[in-house]
Amino acid sequence: MSQIFRDEVGWLWPLCESLHFLGLSLLIGAAGFFDLRLLGFMKGVPLRSAKRFVPWAMVGFAVNLLTGLIFFISQPQQYAANLAMWLKVLFLLVAGINAMLFETSYSDRLMALAPDAETPVSAKVIGAVSLAAWFAVLYFGRMLPYLDPNPRSGV
Amino acid sequence: MAFFTWLQDTPFAHWVASDPSLLAYPTILTLHTVGMAIVVGTCVVMDLRLLGIGGDVPLTALVRAPRLVWTGFVINAATGLALFTTDAEHKATQKVFFVKLSLIFLALGVYARLRKLVFRTATPPAASISGEVKALAVFSLVLWTGATVAGRLMAYLL
Repeated sequence: MSQIFRDEVGWLWPLCESLHFLGLSLLIGAAGFFDLRLLGFMKGVPLRSAKRFVPWAMVGFAVNLLTGLIFFISQPQQYAANLAMWLKVLFLLVAGINAMLFETSYSDRLMALAPDAETPVSAKVIGAVSLAAWFAVLYFGRMLPYLDPNPRSGV
Repeated sequence: MAFFTWLQDTPFAHWVASDPSLLAYPTILTLHTVGMAIVVGTCVVMDLRLLGIGGDVPLTALVRAPRLVWTGFVINAATGLALFTTDAEHKATQKVFFVKLSLIFLALGVYARLRKLVFRTATPPAASISGEVKALAVFSLVLWTGATVAGRLMAYLL
């Protein structure tokens, strides 16, 4: 399968890269919007309505998970031994656990907050961790080819 | 063309292109992606809201979005120029690069028009979302998608 993805369908790699870049913009734009609200920006905007963008972040994430899997299947040797790949996965886990923690332990309480109220420290920490983790995912993703022990051409 | 040859031969261009440090080409390229995520992400969120498929967040939430768009744009103009110097002779004749630049300027033009139509006041009325605004929001999504794809294809097309 990796042979097919890499060599026989020449347009597949650039297509998946383009989708991966669009997915990351959607993910960071939509998740970042809610993160900024958690950090205390855009006061007066109810957290509940700021959260309406989060499903779009999930759309971006789904696109990138799918295209990312295609990259991995195509060139497993480029990723498996690559430190940047594992740091990217680490920050994906940080972002995921942070989001789950928010949903299970803080969401209900924060959603009841008055639109003009100062967001509590817990909300600010979750928002900051989320923003930092997603940009770290982007950073290590883009640095992947340059930290590759077996570099490929055409990056 | 002499100018592009000279540009490509400046010590700065050589540093960006061939310095072994990860801070040179790799970090500049990565910052270009960070800037893209900020500009495109912010515009897409605004477009989705204007099209009514981004929930019911009050339009006031987006009044200060230009600060983000400008920040991302400045990062990308600076990193984009730095990347250009490394391959100036080729880039100056690369069709897909001019397609990308054109799409970006069109998208920024649409963005400026949307700011003028909807976000003139601190509390934009929901009624300001006209048919023209929705059409421009669709146009914006198409243009940013095109610019992103064209940017990626710069690594593949001559």
